[in-house]
Amino acid sequence: MARILKYPLTVLLVTAALPALSAILTGTGEQDFARLRSAMVRDQIVARGVTHRATLQAMRTVERHLFVDASLSSRAYEDNPLPIGYGQTISQPFIVAYMTSLLDLKPEDRVLEIGTGSGYQAAILARMADSVYTIEIVKELAASAKKRLQDLGYHNVEVVPGDGYYGLPGNAPFQAIVVTAAAEHIPPPLIEQLGEGGKMVIPVGSQFMVQNLILVEKKKGRITTTNLMPVRFVPFTREETR
Amino acid sequence: MKRRLAISIGLLSCSMVAFQVALMQILSISQWNHFAYMVISVAMLGFGASGTALAFLRNHLVPKIGSNLAFLMIFTSLSIMGILFFSRTVFGGFDSYLVFYEKRHYLNLICSYLMLFVPFFLGASALGLAYSHYASDIGRLYFADLAGSGMGGLLMLILLWHVSPSVVPFVIACLPLVAGLLIFRHNGKTVAEKTGLLTLALLALVLLVAGFLNPPILPSSQYKSLSRALLLPDARVVETINSPYGQLKRVSAPALRYAPGLSLGYTGQVPVTEVLFHNGDWLGPLVPMALPEREETVVLSALPGTPDAEGAQESLDGKETGHYLDYSTQALPYVIGTPGKVFVADAATGLQAGYALSRGAKEIVAVEPNSTVVGMVTRNIAVPGEQISFIAGHSRYHVQQDDRYDLILLPETGSFGGSSGILALEEQYLFTLDAFSLLWDRLSPGGMIAATLWVDYPPRSTFKLLATMAVTAESKGVEDPADHIVAVRSWSTITCVLVKNKVSANNIDKIRTFCQSRQFDPLLYPGIHPEEREVYNMLQDKSFFRTTDLLLTREREKLFREYDFQIRPATDSRPYFSQFLKLGRLSKMREVFGSASMPFLEVGYLIVLLTMAQIFLASFLFIVLPLIFKKVPGKGKTSLLVFFSFIGIGYMFAEMVFIQQFTLFFGSPLYAASAVLSAMLFFSGTGSACSQKMVTGSPRLRLVAGVIAVLLALLALFLPSLMKATIGNPLPVKVLLCALVIGPPAFLMGMMFPSAILAIRHVGDGSLIPWAWAVNGSFSVISTALAAVISVEAGYQTVMWVAVAAYLMAGISTRFRLFSIFVK
Repeated sequence: MARILKYPLTVLLVTAALPALSAILTGTGEQDFARLRSAMVRDQIVARGVTHRATLQAMRTVERHLFVDASLSSRAYEDNPLPIGYGQTISQPFIVAYMTSLLDLKPEDRVLEIGTGSGYQAAILARMADSVYTIEIVKELAASAKKRLQDLGYHNVEVVPGDGYYGLPGNAPFQAIVVTAAAEHIPPPLIEQLGEGGKMVIPVGSQFMVQNLILVEKKKGRITTTNLMPVRFVPFTREETR
Repeated sequence: MKRRLAISIGLLSCSMVAFQVALMQILSISQWNHFAYMVISVAMLGFGASGTALAFLRNHLVPKIGSNLAFLMIFTSLSIMGILFFSRTVFGGFDSYLVFYEKRHYLNLICSYLMLFVPFFLGASALGLAYSHYASDIGRLYFADLAGSGMGGLLMLILLWHVSPSVVPFVIACLPLVAGLLIFRHNGKTVAEKTGLLTLALLALVLLVAGFLNPPILPSSQYKSLSRALLLPDARVVETINSPYGQLKRVSAPALRYAPGLSLGYTGQVPVTEVLFHNGDWLGPLVPMALPEREETVVLSALPGTPDAEGAQESLDGKETGHYLDYSTQALPYVIGTPGKVFVADAATGLQAGYALSRGAKEIVAVEPNSTVVGMVTRNIAVPGEQISFIAGHSRYHVQQDDRYDLILLPETGSFGGSSGILALEEQYLFTLDAFSLLWDRLSPGGMIAATLWVDYPPRSTFKLLATMAVTAESKGVEDPADHIVAVRSWSTITCVLVKNKVSANNIDKIRTFCQSRQFDPLLYPGIHPEEREVYNMLQDKSFFRTTDLLLTREREKLFREYDFQIRPATDSRPYFSQFLKLGRLSKMREVFGSASMPFLEVGYLIVLLTMAQIFLASFLFIVLPLIFKKVPGKGKTSLLVFFSFIGIGYMFAEMVFIQQFTLFFGSPLYAASAVLSAMLFFSGTGSACSQKMVTGSPRLRLVAGVIAVLLALLALFLPSLMKATIGNPLPVKVLLCALVIGPPAFLMGMMFPSAILAIRHVGDGSLIPWAWAVNGSFSVISTALAAVISVEAGYQTVMWVAVAAYLMAGISTRFRLFSIFVK
């Protein structure tokens, strides 16, 4: 009897000890994550010129490490995008912050996101806006993001599995639209569903390097775009520009 | 025995070359194709490493050489098949796209190297062992080696048409198996040897049957365009074609749409289309080609001298054809005029040809180099044969076959969001100054050359294209290129048009109206005002406009030097339009973009540099280090190193230049490579067979090296002109010319290796031969990466001059004592 009891007890003890051991080894307990998050905002985002207070607050709050695979959680606050499977990545923290700051969201805003991915961008938006609708075409990603966002208490986010091309006409107009799923054209229905004075932001680049951002604005029915550069690059050597 | 040995060596060499080609194909389909290049280069170092291994083990292997050769060959067969069965680990274990992000992928990459290294190492060990033991018969054996290699290339040309890439290695594995069984003789063999061989042969047979009946599924990187498209709901592969051009797949999915840089003012539907993928990468959509409905399509204007000139209408109203490309910058040339005769270069799925048809073009010649694409397009969408000639071939060749064109459309280059420099090492012969000069000459009096590019940041491709247009115009006597170039910009694309006549005020008005109606911004036309350039699409970086204007002036030379990216126009000698990296600015790039992101800015060239570094490191580990630790018998091993490394470099450099030159000549990279390799191997093999009788001493070897250098120097000077003068000849004449050009140097180059082996066969009882084999093998591999770097930095002509210098150095090195022991 003692032997029978001894075995599960050992398993239980080992199981309980493992997370602690892992945390010791990787140095990433909850407090550490909070510290990493704070450092991320300071060193990667503020240092690059993002000053939008609500965005910075959201970036400090949302637990990015819970939006990546457990094996990558210790790297969640690095200055890189990370793979999330299905040929997709969770964007570099700075890009998420920069895109969000460009939208200049207000608490009463309704936001549409095309390309949910892990749900991280939606969580950031949900901290700043009234409601977030996010469409993901890969049904496995949509299901996991939906569960994750629900578990984390983001009740103002609705994850919609499907083709983002048509947007969500039933919930339009949107004050802001984020198209994180790179597209070589902007679907006309999305332009239509952008409200007056609304802003749309589109990152352009590969999965691993966003080269520029397109900010689309609708003012008095007129559409304009601005090509913004997340990384300022002066394409001449210093001495030669003198 | 000797005849069977020669046949076995031929079969083994055939399998080595065929397996190399098969691996390139498999890795291109499953991964980033640059990694294919990198992995293969390292795997090929198996040749170098085999020589080093033989230097240590030769004395143990020689006593039972018959059995050992057979075992090595059968192990080669087993390892070729083994790789396929472990393909999940080899090709799926690492993802080339993640190598820069996750350190564990480095380990997977090294594992892949090691696994791919094994068959080359085993096969090359068998070859090296045979050469070192049967050195007196080297001429014949080397001939069999070269002939077998040539057959390997031809075998793949046939196999890749008929067999899936996952089955091809199993066909190839039959060759070393047969070679091993052929060479094994029962006489004098122990029971253990016979049992061992039988067991291995049976195992090989079991794997062969398993492979043919149940071929392994090749995993593909999740970041390939095809993998991502197949994740879309209801996506499916409708059709697959395998060919030497690669794997072509037709994919259908309700969410697949393509409208590059579509105007934000477009309110219609973007049609769902099937899409073609080439080696897992996006090729283009299958958009139906329909004739314009004449009553609705109103001609905007016409080029002077074209049939529609008189009926041209000025109004923009009603000119829409219903094609969604009306709302893209690609409509720009049709705003300037209505071309009657259009040439679509590298037409891919024919989207541009279909659009030209809808814009009223009377005659369209669309040329696509991949014949399987032409077949798949014409089978699946109706191509109106009276108006459109959809031809498989080389665009630069075909554009010269007809009279003048009103519009020549160049293919889209790069991709949405930047191509990450993936095309950096792709020879783009349509985007060189030589090509633009030729295209200009094929234009009708009011003709145009148009190209559309994706907006990239930092800007580089647009600048290089505009510089190419400006320099071309100037070279054709145009005083101010700004009078002949127009460009329009959307939020994501830029279309540039080079017009043979001066752009008229009337056309400028039309461009303005077009831009306003589509929410585009004009970038260039004569007399443009700065404020006109940013009405709808603002740029944070205003230096873009200043740099654009500077490119059209004579001050561009200074800009080429000072700009951080390579924006000097490409030439036929340096045909790398998409290569923008300047080596001197690497540290600045890393500083600005970060180490992890930087590779995705300019990965193509970086991979070649990385490959070269890897090969040098591996060569040091496999060859130099063992040379230091193991005392090589005989004096003058430095001259041995010099001679065999230089003939390795010289041969490969000359071969690469020949392939480059004949690609333009034959109009097909595939046929050029086949013709050049076949000619090189045939003539070199013949030279090798004759070497024993003709090269009887070091003075003659020196003379041969000198003559090769002179012949290559003559080709470096006159080959490009000869190609240009004779390009119009029929194919049989061209093949004859190819043989006449390549034959003499290749014949002599084939003598160098076996002659030198003969010279050193008695030094240290033949123990120098494995070293020679190792050095020659390693430098042949190093040469491929080195030639790519030299051609990018200095051009192909320089590569040929380096080959000349290499043979001169090889000739000089024969003066050393080592080569004085020639056996007559």
